[in-house]
Amino acid sequence: MKKSFWLIVFLFLLCSFVEANRQDKITVETIDKTKLAKIIKERKGKILFLNLWATWCVPCREEFPSIVKLAGEYKDSVEFVGISVDYPDEVDSKIIPFLKSINADFVSYVNGFGSDEKLINALDKKWNGALPATFIFDMHGNKQFFLNGKQSYEEFKKEITKILSNTM
Amino acid sequence: MKTKMNFLLLLFLFSAISFSKIFSEGELKKAENFKLKDYNGKEYQLNDFKNSKVIVVMFIATQCPVSNAYNSRMAQLYSDYKDKSVTFLGINSNKQESSEEVKNHAKENKLDFIILKDPNNIIADKFGASVTPEIFVLNKNFEVLYHGRIDDSRRENDVKTKDLRNALDEIISGKKVSVTDTKAFGCSIKRVS
Repeated sequence: MKKSFWLIVFLFLLCSFVEANRQDKITVETIDKTKLAKIIKERKGKILFLNLWATWCVPCREEFPSIVKLAGEYKDSVEFVGISVDYPDEVDSKIIPFLKSINADFVSYVNGFGSDEKLINALDKKWNGALPATFIFDMHGNKQFFLNGKQSYEEFKKEITKILSNTM
Repeated sequence: MKTKMNFLLLLFLFSAISFSKIFSEGELKKAENFKLKDYNGKEYQLNDFKNSKVIVVMFIATQCPVSNAYNSRMAQLYSDYKDKSVTFLGINSNKQESSEEVKNHAKENKLDFIILKDPNNIIADKFGASVTPEIFVLNKNFEVLYHGRIDDSRRENDVKTKDLRNALDEIISGKKVSVTDTKAFGCSIKRVS
């Protein structure tokens, strides 16, 4: 009886430790033109789901849980990447706390282009800069979808499914 | 032979018109007159400002941190240009921001220019405005001379290009606006669904 009690305590502590470690793994690097081009190009058989957001953008925060859910469901076929347009000096104070609060453990970056306009133009000159914005690239790095504004889980899933079914 | 030439000419003209139509869509070239009420219920129309040399239409918000980062810069712009025949019109098209909220926000942030409430975002749709803050500079014929951001950084200390000021200075001194379009980055306008 006593043994099993200590076993449960041990397992509980182990789980807490693993969870805490997982959460601490969230890092946010800056992204520039070269790094962005490399991410788009190096697909390794996966499609790319690229979401542009900011902690100050309410609709971005609202759609994020759907992206986290999809990242869990499609981890074998889709690479999820988030780019925050907050400032690089807000990584620890704003970006990471938000990502932790919703368990977003996919790769996240912060805009290191030096200006919002440079990032916008690197992704799509026709994009007016309204957030959130999502770009989906096929496994060859070709842009297939541009979704401007807040999307639902179903809307995202529909576009992902379309690209995956075209490449099967 | 002549019929064939005419047919080809017509086809060419039709293609050219269609082509130009595709590429002119999306960007507002000239605004139409509109009527909106300010936060006190007083009605204004764009035609009221026909005597101004320049009309600066600014889509702004009360709750957007980006728009709010520009409050003091907007107040300063108004103060610097109001006596130079420049009219500033703020427009709030966000569905969740009431006239009362717009009024209090203007008072708190010393935004002394006219701020109109666009209850069903009809004017935001007509202008094709997407975010706050987003600027349209019009001449007295309501032709769009500049569209985009106020400047290039949400942080005032990091500003390198004062796009709106540059455009206004050029217009006032009778020059052609050198940069007519920039990207306005900010919070999406919350439209009625």
